[in-house]
Amino acid sequence: MKRFATALGAVALLVTACGGGPQSGGDSKLTGGKIVLGVLNDQSAGYSALSGKNSVEAVKMAIEDFKAKYGDKAVTSDIEVVDADHQNKPDVANTKAAEFYDRDGVDAILDVPTSSAALKVADVAKAKKKLYFNITAATTDLTGKSCNKYTFHYAYDTYMLANGTGKNATENGAKNWYIVYPNYAFGQDMERSFKAAVEKAGGHVVGEDAAPFPSDNFSTYLLKAPTLNPKPDVIGTMQAGSDLVNLVKQYNEFKLRDKGVGLSVGLMFLTDIHSLTPAALAGTTYTDAWYWNFDAKNREWADKFKARTGSRPTFAHAANYSAATQYLEAVQAAGTDDADKVVAQLEGKKVDDFFLRNGEIRKADHRVLHDAYLAQVKQPDEVKEDWDYVKILKTIPAAEAFRAPSPDCQL
Amino acid sequence: MTNFLEQTFNGLVSGSFLALLALGLAVIFGLLRVVNFAHGAIYMLGAFGAYVLADELGLSFWAALIAVPLGLAVVGVVLERAFIHRLTRLDPLYNFLLTFGLTLILQDLVKARYGVQSSPYAVPSALSGSVDLGLFEFPAYRVFVLAMSVAICVGVWALLTRTRIGMVVRAATERPELTRAFGIDVGRWITPVFGFGVALAGLAGVLAAPMRAVHPLMGADLIIVVFAVVVIGGLGSIFGSVAVGFVIGVLQVWAEAYAPESWRALIAQTLPFLLMAVVLLWRPAGLFGREETA
Amino acid sequence: MTTDVLPEVGRPARARAKRFARPALLAAGLIVAVWLPNGIYTGLAVDLLCWALFAVSVDLLLGYAGLLSFGHAAYWGSSAYATGLLAVHLGLPFPLAVLGGALTAALIAIPVGFLAVKRVGIYFAMVTLAFAQMIYFIANEWRSVTGGENGMQSVPRTLGSADLSDNYYFYYAALPIVLGGLWLAWRIVHSPFGRVLVAIRDNPARARALGYPVHRYKLAAFVLSAFVAGLGGGLFALAHQFVSLDTLHWTTSGKAVIMVVLGGIGTLWGALFGSSFVVVLEDSLSQADFASPGLLTGGIFVLAVLLFRRGLWGSVAAFFRRR
Repeated sequence: MKRFATALGAVALLVTACGGGPQSGGDSKLTGGKIVLGVLNDQSAGYSALSGKNSVEAVKMAIEDFKAKYGDKAVTSDIEVVDADHQNKPDVANTKAAEFYDRDGVDAILDVPTSSAALKVADVAKAKKKLYFNITAATTDLTGKSCNKYTFHYAYDTYMLANGTGKNATENGAKNWYIVYPNYAFGQDMERSFKAAVEKAGGHVVGEDAAPFPSDNFSTYLLKAPTLNPKPDVIGTMQAGSDLVNLVKQYNEFKLRDKGVGLSVGLMFLTDIHSLTPAALAGTTYTDAWYWNFDAKNREWADKFKARTGSRPTFAHAANYSAATQYLEAVQAAGTDDADKVVAQLEGKKVDDFFLRNGEIRKADHRVLHDAYLAQVKQPDEVKEDWDYVKILKTIPAAEAFRAPSPDCQL
Repeated sequence: MTNFLEQTFNGLVSGSFLALLALGLAVIFGLLRVVNFAHGAIYMLGAFGAYVLADELGLSFWAALIAVPLGLAVVGVVLERAFIHRLTRLDPLYNFLLTFGLTLILQDLVKARYGVQSSPYAVPSALSGSVDLGLFEFPAYRVFVLAMSVAICVGVWALLTRTRIGMVVRAATERPELTRAFGIDVGRWITPVFGFGVALAGLAGVLAAPMRAVHPLMGADLIIVVFAVVVIGGLGSIFGSVAVGFVIGVLQVWAEAYAPESWRALIAQTLPFLLMAVVLLWRPAGLFGREETA
Repeated sequence: MTTDVLPEVGRPARARAKRFARPALLAAGLIVAVWLPNGIYTGLAVDLLCWALFAVSVDLLLGYAGLLSFGHAAYWGSSAYATGLLAVHLGLPFPLAVLGGALTAALIAIPVGFLAVKRVGIYFAMVTLAFAQMIYFIANEWRSVTGGENGMQSVPRTLGSADLSDNYYFYYAALPIVLGGLWLAWRIVHSPFGRVLVAIRDNPARARALGYPVHRYKLAAFVLSAFVAGLGGGLFALAHQFVSLDTLHWTTSGKAVIMVVLGGIGTLWGALFGSSFVVVLEDSLSQADFASPGLLTGGIFVLAVLLFRRGLWGSVAAFFRRR
């Protein structure tokens, strides 16, 4: 075996000598003399509307604002963005992430929806010792057993969504719950956290069902809901994307709201409300990581975003802007893009930007903490402006919104 | 008991879509020996057709119910003349591959134009209430979907058994060589029958729009279940395809409602394929199929 | 029915041209294979190897047995999972893990193949597709083993004391397995067994009359093909050090079929060519400002089916043969 390894090494050396092999970087303060940000996300499939190309635009806005802020004092004026479409496929994400770091000299990767792809990119970041800011993947494994020194988890996760809605909606009076969740990792994580939050707040889960994923028929559960004993006050659905649309359409068809069974949603994006119409969701509560029309500060940025892209930002767009900004600030403070020094700048930092309200980049597990919001979809006659579909019922303080650091996480 | 009947009725409603799609697939296969992979994409186009007519022209669901299948029949005729026709003399696998490629194109065209988010579509107001069925109340729209699909299946059945066109199609489906030997010109019926099968898929799509998410991939996974349905029923058998469509719909709902709790989702999802395995072992040609159609 | 799904396999070409053409082609192929990771991104080069095996396995069935498997992701994916499990839990050196994965795929192919070969043509395609979908759902459900939707993370690739963490070196370590798999496919096609398969494909009734157990031959071909697909899938798991549910999804099966048809059915070289074409095309599209990759691949695919059914490779080969 050893001889084979030696022979293999010899062959490899030979080929390397012929002009190939992995390259090494230069030795200036900035690798390649510039900063490169890489946005890796879905630009053609299911998540392209809620993040996609417009997140690339948000990162460009962050760079412009950074340059305007520091002018000549900026660590460099040479800041680039590269982007790629991973189509939510983890193998494509893997290849592209490695390519970003190795070939395009990317210093930090941003976004990466779909948990399996995000977990893979976190692995690549760890191996290459380069930064990765996850935005649109929800799994808590990123700050749990798969956490690492170079990966930061922005925006939301399954615990924050489930806990925020489960706890607050129960405290607001919904005592009996029927939970319907999709039968895959995300759904099961959500169900676990949701149930725990409901029970901790004094509520009662009267039934729970794992629905096939994907599914276009949820009527079985909707027929079952009113027959449960005691009758549930709310159906808590953990479905996302087109499954959620199917469920909500059918919920309305069966007129469960009129039968006294409300609806609460685990994960919902502004784009989901837009496609279902606010009327179909009126009164539904969910937890949001950020809302564009929450206050003047958010609105100011949302207006700039709209001027560039023609649409209102989801929280994913705002989080991409914020993550890019915080990365650039850290490089500015460290005076180098050396990953370890930038991580040292970020760890434990308290931040307050328009996305990160009362924000803190937690040192223990790299969870980025910030205020979250309990949102409720407006009644159709309350909607006065396109895309202004929800009202914020309550601000969930940063300290309560996220879970405590997991013992599984060893950075 | 009431709940059981309610769930069973509900299963028939979801079986309606499988039956309509299987019917179209079986009719097309019968005459053309083509398995139309694009059938799921056409179903999706049907739903989008309803959405576009409502959104851009303000046309009602009822208008869409007529206009969309007619429009898609024309699309079907064009597809048949432009593409499928060219390959009919070759191995049928080529048309299977062709329609697979068309599926990718159709899905991406719709995605490029209307995005990946679901498009909104409401239940028609006349059917937004409930109907009292004696033992239980049920959403009127669902009752309408079931009635509509049963009526169409019966109508197609009557067409096939009572009219001359139907005789020819049925003869060509069940005994193709013999039919040609009698000197019947099967060829002239090919294009209209393809258009008709496509229209059925489009109709299923319009019916789905008010109760299901209207998005570019809505037919992508469904078509595979429909494949299992027609294999179980026997591809050559129109009756078999329809009957099995309804049965699978009911069985899936029963599995979701009554199977052991931790197995529900898996059983509901794999049931059509498990049944298919059993049928293949027991009657390789399908429950209602004939050996020679293999 | 005579078809042109299966172009002229083993039809005597002009002997002299053949004597020089084949070794020259082989040599050229080998040079490209050895040079590849110096010319393109190494991660992509490894992907090319894996997909080449997968496409060849599909062509083995389609081109030589006339069976279109639309569910080959079941074997590619189940081998990826088995390889991952062997590497994670037993820490096997990677060639053994891949072998174990491929054997697992072959094992799964036995019952599926047993049922599927009862039908031919379009039925075979639908039946394989449906079974593959079933395996996909099972993998999703069997979370404790497969990791479900989150996938199986951190699959190690080890070989004694060699450091294979860089894809550049892993490429050369994997190359012998890939060449071995391709050689196996070539052997199958050119063996007496392969000749019988072609005979069955062209005229099943006559083959049966001659006393060949047709079903058993087809089943053997199916299982061998699953083994080759498994070699590719196992390497793919190691290449990405990760296994996802995507490896089992029907769209992955569809991708392999696209590769074979684009490259040219029934030539093996065509499968290599087609897989390289599709992998490189998709890679370049992912960084281009083009949001409809399916439109382009689907469009080229439809054109291939309509206009050049010999595929890219077959058309080129036919052009040179005519001269």
